[in-house]
Amino acid sequence: MKERPLIQISDLHHTYLRGTPLAVTALRGVNMTIYKGEAVGIIGRTGAGKSTLVQYFNGLLRPTQPGRVIVDGQDMSDPHLDVRSIRQKVGLVFQHPEQQLFERLVGDDIAFGPKQLGMEPAARRERVRWAMEMVGLDFEAFKDRFTFSLSGGEMRKVALAGVLALRPEVLVLDESTSGIDPRGRRELLERLLRLHQDHGVTLVFVSSNMEDVAELVERVYVMYEGRVVMSGTTREIFARPAELRRYGLGVPQVTEVAHTLAARGIRLHRTPLTVAEGVEEIWRTLNS
Amino acid sequence: MSHYNREPIIKIEGLHFYYNPQSERPVHALRGVDLEIYPGEYVAIVGHNGSGKSTLAKHINALLRPSAGDVWVKGMNTRNPAHRLAIRSTVGMVFQNPDNQLVATVVEQDVAFGPENLGVAEDELRARVEWALGVVDMLDYRHRPPHRLSAGQKQRVAIAGAIAMKPEVLVLDEATSMLDPEGRESVLAAVRRLNAEGTTIVAITHAMHEAAQAHRVVVMEAGRIVMEGPPRCIFARVAELRALQLDVPQVMELSYWLNQRDPTFPSDLLFVQELADEVERRVNSRGQL
Repeated sequence: MKERPLIQISDLHHTYLRGTPLAVTALRGVNMTIYKGEAVGIIGRTGAGKSTLVQYFNGLLRPTQPGRVIVDGQDMSDPHLDVRSIRQKVGLVFQHPEQQLFERLVGDDIAFGPKQLGMEPAARRERVRWAMEMVGLDFEAFKDRFTFSLSGGEMRKVALAGVLALRPEVLVLDESTSGIDPRGRRELLERLLRLHQDHGVTLVFVSSNMEDVAELVERVYVMYEGRVVMSGTTREIFARPAELRRYGLGVPQVTEVAHTLAARGIRLHRTPLTVAEGVEEIWRTLNS
Repeated sequence: MSHYNREPIIKIEGLHFYYNPQSERPVHALRGVDLEIYPGEYVAIVGHNGSGKSTLAKHINALLRPSAGDVWVKGMNTRNPAHRLAIRSTVGMVFQNPDNQLVATVVEQDVAFGPENLGVAEDELRARVEWALGVVDMLDYRHRPPHRLSAGQKQRVAIAGAIAMKPEVLVLDEATSMLDPEGRESVLAAVRRLNAEGTTIVAITHAMHEAAQAHRVVVMEAGRIVMEGPPRCIFARVAELRALQLDVPQVMELSYWLNQRDPTFPSDLLFVQELADEVERRVNSRGQL
């Protein structure tokens, strides 16, 4: 499954307002590799550096302080780099979708990227329709809606559709499921899974919702105070609740049940990450 | 709860609300809502985007006025502009996005802004700011500019600003949805503490395990209240919630599915400890047979 490294971060540092009394250090030597075709989670409490880090993934931030960033074989500190090709390859959906919408109408907003790429109107329209379908927005009902009349959840869908419309190879989602209602959240998770499994899109899922992380990703990086402090498969990471707690994080409720039972001497066969796994594991224990 | 002999602090009767009533396509956001909230209660309102829950919340502190029906806060009708100030000092509000709520350039000034406007005296003001920042665990940041804080930290400052006015009712409109687990837990702990001290809590949330800690859960769909009751009763109705495409706390779902396989397994366990207790009891009693 791990084909080739798509994003390689080595010893990356970042300090905001460097050299001023207001300097805040966000990254303190991050090492991370994202492979083509995988779904990776980056978790960490607020202020751990996650959002700063992912801005390096598509060249919104370029290494000027110590550290090296290679995206799709290209050194991001190269001043002659074609950043637009990187941005098309790596789509970034921000935490606050309203900061990502700037056109008046939903359809125009989603069409912006394809238009910049020089797509013909008919193809553009189909691309917008496809992107809206992928995020669960009805094309006819929403294309002429005002972006600023949308609810928070709808804005997030439009922002995501706008990024998807560029057909990126890597989709980076920064807290994209927070603040969405349960229907929208489950729908989004299912759609992301489909993009990942059927369309081979590489997913980088930045989240503080452990249940979403458990459902969606195969591998997890844990960040704390500007560093990567844990990494492993999702099951390995959530099997270490004490460490996660130390870093201000938790585990999904169903995993917590397993840890609570383990503390009382009842060990499940494996650490469950989802409700379905939890039911199986508890059932097996009750009937063994 | 023993509130039945008391007057409701919030009383909502036959509430309808239209956005853009003059336009060609007015949006009928609330379609006849009746709800009473009693002093000291902790009520969670859940439902999808567009179900009307935020619109309902905005009626509780007179940010919106009913298109039809009435809302009373401590007996004051929100339609009466003369009551607006008294209503807003009774009901504090915290919204989802803290960026729209922070006004000052230093955290402690931001928290002081509300009570200062209410005319709270200097000494009391300082004490309140310190207390409020303590409740949300942000005392260390008191001299920082808010815009330099992370989303979670900003939200805690916004909550501190609201509670510094010592409102009797605190309405949280998805106030934890952008926080990390630790931040969320610290805010929830603060909310539980405020509630234990007597503040009435109305929490609008998507997180069902958060709603599980309320006294009462109100489920909204398409502008109406469709379910209402203690969390244990509401969340046990897994099939109905599923039909509404709402989530159920993971423990409740485990409990439900285990009950489907073995009807002697309780279907209404809500908390991790309860479920662990039940499994442990069964494992141990099996050993004795």
